[in-house]
Amino acid sequence: MEVLLQVLIGGVLLGGLYALVAFGLSLIYGVVRILNFAHGTLLAVCGVAASLAFSAWQMHPALIAAMLAPLLFAFAWAYYHLLLRPLAARNHFEGTVGTVLVTVGTLLILSDLTAKAAGSTQRNIPLRLPALEFGEIVVSSTQLLILGGIVVLTIVMHVLLKHTWFGRAIRAVTQDGVGAQICGVRSVHMKALTFAFGSATVAVAAVLYVLSFPVDPYMGFGLTVKAFTIIVVGGVGNLPGALLAGVFLGVAEGLTGLYWKPEWAPALSVIAMLLILVVWPKGLGRSA
Amino acid sequence: MRTIAIAVAAASTLLASLPAAAKLNSCDGPVVFGTTLSETGPFSTLADRWRKLTEVFAEEINKSGGIAVKACNKKLPLQFVIYDDQSVPATAVQLYEKMATVDKVDFFVGPDWSSIGGPVPPIADKYQIPMVMANVATPALYDRGLRYTWGTPFPVVPNWSTRYFDMLTKVNPKPQSIYFITHDNPVMKGITASWSKKAEAQGLKVLGNETFSPELKDFTALIAKVRAAKADVIYISSYDNASVPLVQQMRQLKVRAMDVHHTMLTGALARQVGADIEGMTGELSWYPGVKGAYSELVETVMQRSNVTMFDYIWTLGRLTSYLAMVQGIEKAGVVDREKVREALFKATIRSPAGDVTFDERGFPNTGAFTVQMQNGKVNVVWPPEVATGRLAWPSPSWQQ
Repeated sequence: MEVLLQVLIGGVLLGGLYALVAFGLSLIYGVVRILNFAHGTLLAVCGVAASLAFSAWQMHPALIAAMLAPLLFAFAWAYYHLLLRPLAARNHFEGTVGTVLVTVGTLLILSDLTAKAAGSTQRNIPLRLPALEFGEIVVSSTQLLILGGIVVLTIVMHVLLKHTWFGRAIRAVTQDGVGAQICGVRSVHMKALTFAFGSATVAVAAVLYVLSFPVDPYMGFGLTVKAFTIIVVGGVGNLPGALLAGVFLGVAEGLTGLYWKPEWAPALSVIAMLLILVVWPKGLGRSA
Repeated sequence: MRTIAIAVAAASTLLASLPAAAKLNSCDGPVVFGTTLSETGPFSTLADRWRKLTEVFAEEINKSGGIAVKACNKKLPLQFVIYDDQSVPATAVQLYEKMATVDKVDFFVGPDWSSIGGPVPPIADKYQIPMVMANVATPALYDRGLRYTWGTPFPVVPNWSTRYFDMLTKVNPKPQSIYFITHDNPVMKGITASWSKKAEAQGLKVLGNETFSPELKDFTALIAKVRAAKADVIYISSYDNASVPLVQQMRQLKVRAMDVHHTMLTGALARQVGADIEGMTGELSWYPGVKGAYSELVETVMQRSNVTMFDYIWTLGRLTSYLAMVQGIEKAGVVDREKVREALFKATIRSPAGDVTFDERGFPNTGAFTVQMQNGKVNVVWPPEVATGRLAWPSPSWQQ
C-alpha cells in the first residue's frame, strides 16, 4: 500500500510538471493555431542555460527563471514576427507546411547551437533539499517546491487569462479574430504577444524541470510529444484540462513502472495519445 | 609558371607532412602506429583529449630512444598517424583502409567502442596488419576467427566487479542481499546477468532486478520497489549519464542500504549529481598512485595531456593498446608483422593495473579496482594492498 501511495504521489508531481510544459503549447495552439515543434527544445535550451547559470554563479533558481522569462519572451516575439507571421499570407496548406518546416528547423538549429556552445552532455541543478518522511512514505522537498511553482504559475495564468484585458483580448481573438479587430483588438499584435507569453512560460517550466531531471540539447522533441499528448487528452486551450491530463499521464507512467516494467513508461505517452485519438477524437476536456 | 611552382611547393609540403614510409623488417625510420580517435560525434566526450594524449605518449617513448628492437640492436622512434573517426563506424572503416593502403602504417592500435570494433578488425585481417583495439569490450566481437586482432578494454564484463564481490565477502557486517538496477543496454545487461549469478553463488540473496530505459526520467516506481525490498546492497549497472536522475531521486526518496554500487562511477556522474554521489562505490580500471608496470609513464602522459582517469575512465584501455603493441614489437625483436602477431599471442603484457594476457580469441583478462567517493574525492578502497583510502562500511551517507 505504501509503495502504491508513494508512486501515486510521484505521479501527481511528475504530471504537474508535464502539464506546465504543455500550458504554453496549448495556449499558443489555441490562439495562434501554430503547432510549435520547437517548444520542448526551448525548454531544453533554457534548462541548459539555467544549469550553467546555477553552476557558474550559484544563482537562486527563482532568479534564474525571472531572468530567462523576459529573454525568451523577447526572442519568441521577434521569432514570430520574422519567421511565422509571414506564413499567414500563404494559403492554408502552404502556411501549415511552412509552420512545420520552420519550427522543426528551429528545433534542429537550436539543439545543435546549444550542443556546440555548452556541450551535448546532460546538465541539471543539483539542489538538494531535505525530504519529508511520513512512515514509509517519503516526499521530496524539491518536488514539493516544484509543485508549489506549478500551482503559482497555474493561478497566475488563470488570473491573467480570465481577469485581465490581455486575457479577454486573447479569448476574443480565439473566438472571432475579425470581430475582435473591429472592436479595437489588434489580432496580429495579440497573436505575437500570446506566442511570446506561451514561450516565456517555458522558462519557468525549464527551471522547475531541471531541478528534478537532467536536460540535454537534444531531448526537446520527446517533451513536445508529451505536451501534444496532454493537449490531445486535456483539450486544446484548456488549462485545467491540461493539468488533469498531465497528472493522468504522470500517474499512468508511475503505475506502468510499478506493475509492469519501467522501461515501458516513456512509450506510454504515445500509446495514450493514439488511444485517445481513436476513442475520443476531440479530447477528454472542453475546447476553449 | 607561378601556378606550377605553387603546385609543386604544395605537393612537397604535403609529402613532407606525411609520416616517413615504414620499412618493415628493416632498422631504418620510425615504427608507425595507425589509429583513429572519436574526436567528434557522440563518443567525443569520452575521447576528445586523446590526440594530445597519443602524441605525448610517443614523445615520452621517444625520450628514451623509442622501441627496443633486438634485431636492429637499437631503439627505433615511435610515430603515430591519427585520424578522427567522428564516432562513425563507416568513417572508421574508410580510415583504416586508408592507413593500410595510403599511409602504409606498420601496425594498428586503439579503435574504441563496440560499434567501431565490429566492422574495423576485418581490415586488419585483410591486410595482415596486427591490431590491438582499445575499448572494445563485447566478447562476441572476438568470436569471429580473427587472426590479427587483440583488445585491451578495462575492465571486461566477466571481470567487471571481481574485486567488489571479493570485498563483499570480507566486510563486516556482511551483506545478505542485493538488488540490481540495470540500464537497458547490452553491455550493462551482460554485467547484471554475469554478476547476479555470481552474487547468488557466493550466498547473496538477489531480491530483484529492475531494467530501465535511458529515456526514463521519473524513477519513483522503481525506487519504491527497491526501498520496499530493503536490500543490503544496491548494484546499479548503468552508464553514467543514464543514471543521473536515478541517483538523485534515490537520495531525494531516502533510499537506505549498506552500499550503493555503480558500475560507471565517473567524473561526469559526480559533476551532475553533486553531493549525492558521496559514499557510493564503483569501479575504476586504474588510478594514479596505484603503482605498477609503466605507471610512471602513464601518469606523466596523462598529466602532460591534461587527462584525468576519473573524467576519461577509458584512458587506460587506450594507453594499454599502445603499450601492448610496443611490448609485442619488443618481444618479437623485429619490426615484422607476422613475428609481432606470434609474440602477441604468447605475450603477457605489463600494464599499470597488472599483467594482461589474452585468450586464443585475443580477448583479455583485464579487471578493475573498487573505488569509493569519500569527501568529494575518489579513492581506491579494494584490494587493500593498493588502496588509496580506507573503505567506509556500511557507507555512512546511505545509512542516513
